[in-house]
Amino acid sequence: MTVAEKQPVPAAISVRNLDFYYGANHALKNISIDFPQGQVTGMIGPSGCGKSTLLRVLNRMYDLYPGQRATGEVIFDGCNILGPRVNLNVLRARVGMVFQKPTPFPMSIYDNIAFGVRLHERLDRAAIEARVEDVLKRVALWSEVRDRLHDSASALSGGQQQRLCIARTIATRPEVVLLDEPTSALDPVSTARIEELLDELKADFTIAIVTHNLQQAARCADQVAFFYMGEVVEVDSADRMFTAPRENRTQDYITGRFG
Amino acid sequence: MDRSATSPSALMGVARGNGDAVFAAIVRCAAALILLGLGGMVAVMAWGARGAFAAFGPAFIIDRAWNPVTQHFGAAAPVFGTLVTALLAIALAVPLAFGIAVWLTEIASARIAGVIGTLIQLLAAVPSIIFGMWGFAVLVPFMAHYVEPFASHTLGRMPGIGPLFRGAPYGTGFLTGGMILAVMITPFISAVMRDVFLSMPAVLKESAYGLGMTRWEVVRRIILPWSRTSVVGGIMLGLGRALGETMAITFVIGNANHIGWSLFSPGNTIASLIALEFPESAMGSLKFSSLMAAGFLLMLISLGTLVCSRLLLRTRSAGR
Repeated sequence: MTVAEKQPVPAAISVRNLDFYYGANHALKNISIDFPQGQVTGMIGPSGCGKSTLLRVLNRMYDLYPGQRATGEVIFDGCNILGPRVNLNVLRARVGMVFQKPTPFPMSIYDNIAFGVRLHERLDRAAIEARVEDVLKRVALWSEVRDRLHDSASALSGGQQQRLCIARTIATRPEVVLLDEPTSALDPVSTARIEELLDELKADFTIAIVTHNLQQAARCADQVAFFYMGEVVEVDSADRMFTAPRENRTQDYITGRFG
Repeated sequence: MDRSATSPSALMGVARGNGDAVFAAIVRCAAALILLGLGGMVAVMAWGARGAFAAFGPAFIIDRAWNPVTQHFGAAAPVFGTLVTALLAIALAVPLAFGIAVWLTEIASARIAGVIGTLIQLLAAVPSIIFGMWGFAVLVPFMAHYVEPFASHTLGRMPGIGPLFRGAPYGTGFLTGGMILAVMITPFISAVMRDVFLSMPAVLKESAYGLGMTRWEVVRRIILPWSRTSVVGGIMLGLGRALGETMAITFVIGNANHIGWSLFSPGNTIASLIALEFPESAMGSLKFSSLMAAGFLLMLISLGTLVCSRLLLRTRSAGR
């Protein structure tokens, strides 16, 4: 938990002076933040403070919608991914995303995972099967679905669907995984499972998670960023953020005085 | 409400006269009228057709003759023409409508998509007689002078599909009829497809893009499978319209009692046969009855198509 304090970890993604606009609405104001490699960065703050917006910048999801634009720099693997010549398909394969609600594709459990893999890698059947089994085991879903891999994914429970979506995301071997309130639609048991999962996944992936659940941030994150009104108020290790925040606004938020 | 007047008996009674009951009766009648109208139509058509079915039996449906002189009638040619032109129209309109819908929902900017979407709806509102005049004055000569001679020299020489594109370039015929119908039903089908595509949850699309899919992959692998039944339902609705269309196709089909491989050859549809011959047939004659029988068949085909599309659209909404 305290790796960040002892030795500086290189950043997988560096955000520098980022501004973001939904049309005329200035949603992110001069944001600068690092996402250290192999760590979980938790993003907290009241609704509408811009934390989900920042996630959507990191894989350029906002590009789907006209009128949304970002200025500043987001450095990933030495490139500014806000630049015009970025291959979005490759970027999104390297920076995967899991959404608030489970979003299984209208196909079988197996194909939900295999489909994304086939998009980016030419593998033979056996290799794909091995990959599917591997990621399903990593999200602790294998034992539950091994006998019905070719059934429709929509037959799974909500928690299972969300784990499937995480499996689908890590199956393409991204470097960064973005999670936008991944447990807010799940029951406590499924939530605990996914939190355990995050701890294992950070060995291989850099993780950015948006959450409204402060305990979740405290449990899972190495580094926590507090967002307020489109600004990053404070970034610190989870321990310090929740015991001795430097800013009054952070103090007020984590003690429940607003938000 | 006058609370002082409240008593057990008043509580059980009808409030303020029986306006509600009268209104309910009126709207119930209006609804019943629909049922009555539809049932009556089917009954009248069947009753009118009884002479033809009595004279020719079920073979009426597969009999290719239509000869007023010998009083020998069969519906095979117009049924054939109706099905061929409608299917041609679907084959031409569906890819086009699909392209329009994908462009409107996935590619075009919101403002342009709004304008084009409105124009498409206006196109759907153009009266069919206008398409008929356009077809007769513009499309038929164009087909006769350019498309059909060219097609018969190229496609017509290919093995397999060759026979479809041979024959004299009259300009009128199955292909031209199918094209006119395609123009008429494209706006309709694309509007249905657009609505279905728009109803897809944004997060599902986003997670597909989030895996690094290209637009085409998202459309082909996510949007289409997700919306399959509704799209098919929309296509069936278009098919229903194409089957029953009369004026436009009467102008360009050639009006010949003919069945054949060539798409260039003139033919007939049930609707245009009736439009042309009904006013000239004597009430109660065998020809009159045969036309009624043909109309009855058209009604069955159209109703069957619509029922299929409704069922498909309903399974969809119930399943989700």
